[in-house]
Amino acid sequence: MIQPNGINPPKWPLKFLRFFVKKKYLEEIEGDMEELFRENAEQLSLHKAKRIYTWEILKLFRPILIKNLEVLQHLNRYPMFKSYFKVSLRGLLKNPVNSFINVFGLALAIGTCVFAYAFARWTFSRDQFHEHKNEVHLVTFLADRDGTLQQYGKTPRPLGEMLKEDFAQIKKVCRVEDRNVVIKYGDNVFHERVRFTDPEFLEMFTFPLKWGTMGSLKDVNSIILSEDMSIKYFGEENPIGQSMLMIFDKNRSKEFKVTGVAKEFPKSRTISFNFLINFENFRTSDPGYNFHDWKAFVSATLIQVGNPSELETIEKGMEKYRILQNKAVEEDWAISSFAFEPLATLHKSSEYIRDDISRSSKNDYISIVFMVVIAVFLLALACFNYINIAIATAAKRLKEIGIRKSIGATRKTVIVQFLSENIVITFFALIIGLILGYTFFIPGFELLWDFSMDFRIDDAALWIFLPAILLFTSIASGIYPSLYISKFQVVNILKGSVKFGQKNPLTKVFLGFQLIMSCIFITCSVLFTLNNSYLAKRPWGYNQAETLYANVPDQAAYQELSALMAQHPDVLSISGSSHHIGKSHATAILHFSDREYEVDQLSVDATYFETMGVQLKEGRGFKDHDGSDKQAVVVNELLVKNMAWKNPVGQQFRIDSIQYEVVGVVKDFHDYSFSKLVRPIIFTVADKEDYRYLSMKVKRGSEIKTHKALQANWAKLFPEIPFEGGHQEDVWGFYYEEIGIYDLVWKVFAFIAVSLATLGLYGLIRLNVEGRTKEFSIRKVLGAGLKDIAASIISQYMILFAVALTIGAPLGYIAGKRLIEFANVYHMPITFSPVMIAVVIMVLVLFITVSIQIIKVIKANPVDGLKVE
Amino acid sequence: MKKTKLGEFEELVLLTVATLQEEAYGVEIKRELEERLKEKLSVGSIQSALKRMEEKGFLTSEFGEATQKRGGKRKRIYTATPYAHRILAELKDIRARLWNSIPQLTPQLKAI
Repeated sequence: MIQPNGINPPKWPLKFLRFFVKKKYLEEIEGDMEELFRENAEQLSLHKAKRIYTWEILKLFRPILIKNLEVLQHLNRYPMFKSYFKVSLRGLLKNPVNSFINVFGLALAIGTCVFAYAFARWTFSRDQFHEHKNEVHLVTFLADRDGTLQQYGKTPRPLGEMLKEDFAQIKKVCRVEDRNVVIKYGDNVFHERVRFTDPEFLEMFTFPLKWGTMGSLKDVNSIILSEDMSIKYFGEENPIGQSMLMIFDKNRSKEFKVTGVAKEFPKSRTISFNFLINFENFRTSDPGYNFHDWKAFVSATLIQVGNPSELETIEKGMEKYRILQNKAVEEDWAISSFAFEPLATLHKSSEYIRDDISRSSKNDYISIVFMVVIAVFLLALACFNYINIAIATAAKRLKEIGIRKSIGATRKTVIVQFLSENIVITFFALIIGLILGYTFFIPGFELLWDFSMDFRIDDAALWIFLPAILLFTSIASGIYPSLYISKFQVVNILKGSVKFGQKNPLTKVFLGFQLIMSCIFITCSVLFTLNNSYLAKRPWGYNQAETLYANVPDQAAYQELSALMAQHPDVLSISGSSHHIGKSHATAILHFSDREYEVDQLSVDATYFETMGVQLKEGRGFKDHDGSDKQAVVVNELLVKNMAWKNPVGQQFRIDSIQYEVVGVVKDFHDYSFSKLVRPIIFTVADKEDYRYLSMKVKRGSEIKTHKALQANWAKLFPEIPFEGGHQEDVWGFYYEEIGIYDLVWKVFAFIAVSLATLGLYGLIRLNVEGRTKEFSIRKVLGAGLKDIAASIISQYMILFAVALTIGAPLGYIAGKRLIEFANVYHMPITFSPVMIAVVIMVLVLFITVSIQIIKVIKANPVDGLKVE
Repeated sequence: MKKTKLGEFEELVLLTVATLQEEAYGVEIKRELEERLKEKLSVGSIQSALKRMEEKGFLTSEFGEATQKRGGKRKRIYTATPYAHRILAELKDIRARLWNSIPQLTPQLKAI
């Protein structure tokens, strides 16, 4: 009723109210609302009253007042659902091609979801198996380096023992330090990495033992093995009581007795061990190891507190150690504070902590985001297929719907029917998807990256995730078709005057979207492939192909080995160094009068540049006689650039307290793989006593032969020590493998995306062509040839293809560019050619899909077509 | 007690309905309660409390008169059922007994 004075409540909230409120309550509530509105309009203002009115109506949207929420619960619908189930199964069997497209498409997408789930779970569970993960903390310190505060995971050596004495709140402390040793058991020798630690290690971390006792680590003669190592040395047998000889260096070795073997470690972890021995063993292995030296560091010190809230008190008490520490070290290495990092989140914070014993999970978290995005996209593609096909086939089911409706089905029951059919289909897809994920995606990925995600089918959370996916997918794909189909009036359906299905504009939008997505996926995959071949050819900046290297234990070993190798006819030059490109370097801080600068430092000999093929750009290399060039450095181009030196040769700076002068500049080279930026580097002359690497330049083509000779000579000289070394090319060989895997993963995704889109397109065209059988038959009878038929099929899709490609190509270009730039530090110049390749592939795929249908029409006998009712 | 399930807010609405007698319809209940509680209430909260209590059998309702200012829509007049009266009395009784059993209240207050 419209009031004469024109004060009326706003219209759309009222409409909304009428839409949702139960009929029996409507009059009362509408009246109440209007009464309040008038009152407010008089007392306040019309504007305010309207606002209150709208807001109040929104607040009326409550379960108890909303229409029909209880309808579904009242009837016993079991027989009805049984019938729906039967109808769905029949429908599936009747149209095997459509069913395949639907089920297989959804299954692929769900398989990807299962995979993404497994990966996320694997990442989230990292290090979470430790019982005391919230009480155990890594001791770290913060220090100012080049003007930024950097957190370090190592700690001054004496700190651990002092912490234990000084704080009652600290229950347990353990120090961790790793050393490379040689282990001899029987006739076998192996290089191994051994963890020196306190007996508390096994109490603080949760690594239960399979055999033996934890407390045995208190004995300095015991050794505890991981399960892998136990199998490596002793097979499946219980090795308790066996002894192993550990060779620390040429003069020192010690016999250990196996007193424990750990159970298999959980798969998702960042900290574990191969061998554990008591920390006190440093007294044997390294008499120079000073336990009380504040200048020296231990790899990690961990503390366990009773209650994490006590850390604040401890943190306050750390000040005295800071003073102690800063008194001991030189100014450069002064620290600004200590901090504690809980074990539970160490794998996340590790990204920002230098030199810590954990490992960063950042890349995995990024991967999860990628996977979720891709899984959602694939799911969307599969749902679009389903929707398109459902709408296109709806015409075939009109009669069924008409009859259902005329014998009493309401629109709601029709919707419920279609949705439940959808759940049946999605359920099949879910099973196949789960199988695909479990037997194909996950093992495939694990195989590629050589790790195990420990995915278990009996994981409780998985069984929450799967029904959620089932429900989400079936509703996402089924809601629109069911609403669309149930909309039609019975009379019109039965009269046969309803024409719909093939001309739904939404179908084209979905198909267009699928094509755009495929275009993007293909572009990315093409870009990755091209970029990989670019990286494979990218020069490293030094001679990688013709160089061999070997680790040597000391100077004497170097002398013996180089003397032997020098006689080999294929060896062109031999160099000794204490660091080696791609293998090791030191860190130095350059002091200038006005600033400090951190660089990587490699100590080498005079012939190293020649041997490794590092090119001198300016100045000279090192002179080749004893004691020369002690204060000379050769720097790389980047350092010159960063320092903005116009005349680099002759520049001076201090390292520690020694003055150095730049004598030469070498061209930039990649010390690390292409995944990291080149860093500023200085070369200094290595003391002969410090030689740890032998590198050789050999004649082209003789690399393998010389490598064998090198190994043979080694075995002759040092039968006790396993050979370590090889082709310089292999140092970063795994990098190429890694980027190759990325490439493969993208290809798989692109393939899935394209197959989904093609399947959808194929299904649609097929339905379209089938619906027009009569038309085509008449055309053919009247003399239409291949050209006319093809034109009449293609013309419908031409514009769609064109639009999809014009949108997809630039989007693919942008997405691909972003992705390549994100994933690579060094990448190829990105041009439009990969996009063109992607477009060509797309056009080919589309052409083939359409052609199959055209050929079918051409081959069909028009008589059969005309006979069709 | 458990079966009655009368929420605190519901109880307030129910008491208001009992107070207002023949005048107990949506807007009036809201007005009365707002005055007593000295705070704004939404129509939605009152309505859902009324409907819930009607389902639970605390209230019955019938249409009342229609007025011009309601746009010609009828009011719905709510009446508390005898059952509701009994429950309300019970609740009051329980509360009173509880209050009576806090004799130490004053000394403690002094201690604070």
